Amino acid sequence: MNWQIHLPALALAIPLLGAFASPVAGLGGRSIRNAWMVFISIATTAICLLLLNRVLAEGVMVYVMGAENWNLTLPSGLSWPIRIILQVDAFSAFMAVVGSVAALAGAFFSLQFMDKFTGLEKFSALYFLLVTGMLGMQLTGDLFNFFVFLEIASVASFGLIAFWRDRPEAVEASFKYMVISTLSAMFVLIAVGFLYGRYNAVNIAAVARMMHMGYAEKIALVFLVVSLTMKCGTVPMHMWTPDAYAEAPAGVTCLLVGVSQASLYGLFRVCFSLYGVSLGSTVVPWTIIVMGVLSMFIGVTMAVIQKEVKRLMAYHSVSQIGYILMALGVGLLAIRDPQAMAEYGFTAMKGGIFHILNYTMYKGLLFLTAGALFYSSGSRNLNEMGGLARVMPHTTFMFVIAAAAIAGIPPFNGFVSKLLIYQSTFAVYPLLAVVALVTSVLTLASFVKVFQTAFLGPARKKFEHATEAPGSMLIGMSILTIVIVAITLFPTWTLSHLVEPAAKALVDQAGYISAVMGGGL
Amino acid sequence: MWSKVYSGFGYWDVYVWLVFFGISSILVLWLRSLGRADYKEGTEQDEIFYGSNEVPEDGDDMGVPASSAYWGFVKALKPYYDSLVEIHSGIVSDYVGFFIFTAAVLAVLVLL
Repeated sequence: MNWQIHLPALALAIPLLGAFASPVAGLGGRSIRNAWMVFISIATTAICLLLLNRVLAEGVMVYVMGAENWNLTLPSGLSWPIRIILQVDAFSAFMAVVGSVAALAGAFFSLQFMDKFTGLEKFSALYFLLVTGMLGMQLTGDLFNFFVFLEIASVASFGLIAFWRDRPEAVEASFKYMVISTLSAMFVLIAVGFLYGRYNAVNIAAVARMMHMGYAEKIALVFLVVSLTMKCGTVPMHMWTPDAYAEAPAGVTCLLVGVSQASLYGLFRVCFSLYGVSLGSTVVPWTIIVMGVLSMFIGVTMAVIQKEVKRLMAYHSVSQIGYILMALGVGLLAIRDPQAMAEYGFTAMKGGIFHILNYTMYKGLLFLTAGALFYSSGSRNLNEMGGLARVMPHTTFMFVIAAAAIAGIPPFNGFVSKLLIYQSTFAVYPLLAVVALVTSVLTLASFVKVFQTAFLGPARKKFEHATEAPGSMLIGMSILTIVIVAITLFPTWTLSHLVEPAAKALVDQAGYISAVMGGGL
Repeated sequence: MWSKVYSGFGYWDVYVWLVFFGISSILVLWLRSLGRADYKEGTEQDEIFYGSNEVPEDGDDMGVPASSAYWGFVKALKPYYDSLVEIHSGIVSDYVGFFIFTAAVLAVLVLL
């Protein structure tokens, strides 16, 4: 039997093993724990890459947990699935690769960044639990399982955000995130309950097959959309983002960027695959577009006035999520009209999905450079920094690449995805593209401020003994830098081999349903 | 082609831009090479001009802090920023309030 049929399960089992075995690895000392963290991170990324390769070659993969056969989605005599099914299409696999690369970079960075702290076996256990939750959300084909993995990711996040528990700000940030996250999880659970009550099924494909919009479905849709947009930090529910991103250790913040994309994945899986053409009116697409526009503008204007480097970057996360929401909202708007989909909808979706990849890479890198600044200068306050390019040339170089990419400066990767978004959204409503362009200019202004105040300027006496970030931290940053440069140099390959298959999978609701339901019902 | 991205409205070629940056860099280096060759290192030509004042020894005394950056922009948008900062109260019940408010508005829009 080909072992690769088990890839979806392995993508969850390996980080889960990593989490539970971390305390055991910690007994062998720091070097064993570090080696374990590196091994699990590399293995998880490799499995996700293999999974993507197989899905691109052979189409949607399903994996039925506990069944006699791994692909027996409909046991004899039943017309809908009863077991837990992992369902991986090109969009799921794409998201899993993006998330696992962010996790790999964050893990390398954390090795030396966290070295002077205690309780690191708990840190690595929570870290891999968060990776498991993130990948589970992206690979499951089951609504209730999505909720379970969402909760696994949330609980691990609470612990990691408050990891420096001697800092009251970290505990406060974790508490705030816990309150809002638990509330949204309850909304998700109630929405799943509504759908289960109506259709006697929680499998996404099965529910999508039977979906007819009524009050219960509409309420479930509202609860899912609001909860998942909150989880990815959308205005006006974004306030937890600067608190949590700023207080978490830098390697964790890099991973949290990937985790927020898992919520975004959930949102679009719900909108495109669960509801799809059943959405009916344009209320939800336009709501997502408006939330995207607000997130872009409010996020970036709040970033401009920040003086704490990680809070500034966190507000930029809100802003960048806005681009993705706006693009995929435009794609959703065109879902019932093949002509509109061909004219601008599919381009918008390609731009949005490409931006997910770009955003995760450059924003992860920016948070890591902020961590490196904190490691060397002992401060996150930009007012107290200056002249650090002299002692941190490698970090400076990588910061400049990430800052140019996020600001959408040609020829960097951020420009390509933004170009697709500008042109397609302009076709729908020109003001959308104008707001996106203004946001891009303010993003550049904001990162010029960071570059000027932290890296440039005269040498400061207090940083006489500051040094460049150590090896593993540079490796973590280099992984993301290499990905950014590769995407920049080969945008066509990236679009045709990664982004387009993902976009096609997302709009192909019938393909998603038939992979599980076959000819049933 | 590995470099061309067709957007449906036109195309973008990364290698054209790389060639453009290459040519620009050559031009910049050429302009730089036209600079004066009789520059004397270690003399007063080497000193920083600091508004005719003595240059402070520590960079801390002469840098522009981040909170002063874009003060004109922020001042011009003061009413906008005042309301925006007020919304970002940091109080968790406000976070919950915005969540419930958004859910309620979307529910009304979807259900009606």
